Amino acid sequence: MSGHEATAGPMAVTDRVHWIGALDPKMRTFDVILKTPNGTTYNAYLVRGSDGVAVIDTVKAETADQFFARLEAVADYAEIKVIVLNHLEPDHSGALPELMRRAPQATLYISDAAQLMLKALLNNSDIAYTPVTTNDRVSLGDRTLRFLNTPYLHWPDTQCTYLEEEGVLFSGDVFGCHYCDEQLFNDSVGDFRFSFEYYYSHIMRPFKQYVLGALELIEPLQINLIAPTHGPILRDHPRHYIERYRELSTPHLHLEIDRDVKTMIIFYISSYGNTMHMAEAIRDGAAEVGGFRISLYDLEGGEVEPFVDLVEEADAILVGSPTINGDAVKPVWDLLSSFAQINVKGKVAGAFGSYGWSGEAVRMVEDRLRGLKMRVPAGGLRIKLIPSADELENCRDYGRDIGSFLMGRPRAREIDMSQLSAN
Amino acid sequence: MAKAKVKFADVNVTVTVPVGTRIIEISEKVGSYIAYNCREGDCGSCMFTVLDGSDNLSKPSALEKATLFAHFQEVLDGWRRAGDIESLQAMMRRENFAGKECRLACQTQVFGDATVAPL
Repeated sequence: MSGHEATAGPMAVTDRVHWIGALDPKMRTFDVILKTPNGTTYNAYLVRGSDGVAVIDTVKAETADQFFARLEAVADYAEIKVIVLNHLEPDHSGALPELMRRAPQATLYISDAAQLMLKALLNNSDIAYTPVTTNDRVSLGDRTLRFLNTPYLHWPDTQCTYLEEEGVLFSGDVFGCHYCDEQLFNDSVGDFRFSFEYYYSHIMRPFKQYVLGALELIEPLQINLIAPTHGPILRDHPRHYIERYRELSTPHLHLEIDRDVKTMIIFYISSYGNTMHMAEAIRDGAAEVGGFRISLYDLEGGEVEPFVDLVEEADAILVGSPTINGDAVKPVWDLLSSFAQINVKGKVAGAFGSYGWSGEAVRMVEDRLRGLKMRVPAGGLRIKLIPSADELENCRDYGRDIGSFLMGRPRAREIDMSQLSAN
Repeated sequence: MAKAKVKFADVNVTVTVPVGTRIIEISEKVGSYIAYNCREGDCGSCMFTVLDGSDNLSKPSALEKATLFAHFQEVLDGWRRAGDIESLQAMMRRENFAGKECRLACQTQVFGDATVAPL
């Protein structure tokens, strides 16, 4: 840490709110998955009411010195009546044990779901807390904090805290980004739009349904300023960021075309054209069922990211892979490992492929699809080398099976358990 | 060996199984959307509903009963915490168990014909 980061004082956000967080400009990778080219900030805030002070969120343990120095510049520990943690991840709870030691009279407020995590995270069973949910309030005299339960943004425990009289939303990680600029306010810092978008797509995107639920609570509020736990404080056009979250979380395909039309995507990769011929036959069979869109994509001809975008809004995803050295091929795993960026739970899925010797790929892909909690309504199709006319008919039938299931009319099948094990 | 037929209504698949087979051994393979987590009766994730033939299924063990009870207790607690009638009704709609017999798929064995479905 440079002396500059440590000595820069607290920053007034409103008459009654101070930023007392920490700058971490040297951070380059956050939580394994995120790149942070100019670091990040851990934003914590201090709210002063006529009847006491509240601290909203803390910082990562390694930057606690900055946090305590800034806190001490605007308040005495004895004044702290309320501590709120909007999210318990260690980058926000790191300084909590020490803060509670210094301000033992304060009451800690966390969400219902956070209770289960508090002990595991802090390895301290002695911490007393009060669980809160939507519309619970805490008074600081002439200032009031109101809680909004906003689960899965991006952990089960996440909540927002609204300072009613100031119209300030302490939003936790929502509307945040990893961007470190000591100017702090969105109208003074550098152009951070790329960080805002990147943060949404890697942190919030799998939880779009929950984002839309949270926006129902947030949008009706009078919002003068959004104070997230990472990145710039949003005081200029705060509504813009709320609107952007709604836009990013709303499914678009169904707005642009007939709302009820479903989409099936068949991805394949093929070394000698056999898996490709299977893909085409499956498409033909599914098309006989009709009533939905079908697209066929060769993984060799595209990048993973746009394919993931397609999958996010599709209803059924079939994946065809040959088996090479007892495994599905890398482009297939590259695609499947990227499904973690989106929510695929409950989508219809299946696997197929041609093979030369043993054909393990189809089962492995199927297991991965099931592991992602996708629905795999029919056992995957494996064909040894070049599909015969009969085998292509099996492919068409598999397509009919998946298509019928997708359309909510699963074809009746009677099978013996021994057939399942043989698959 | 005696056989029984178990139908998974969501995928419209009827499987002939040896008597004593557990639902968990079949449901994933036919693509029925019963979710699993611990697979040993503890977590309650694999709760499913019996549409027909409940007498042909194994009786719930003490473990299964305890897990089902804990889940229903959780649902009731959720309902109790509802701040207003709208959210109470929304929760009740989401977790409507009326008329359903719920079991755990990792525990339940098939002894005769039955029809089952995810919740």
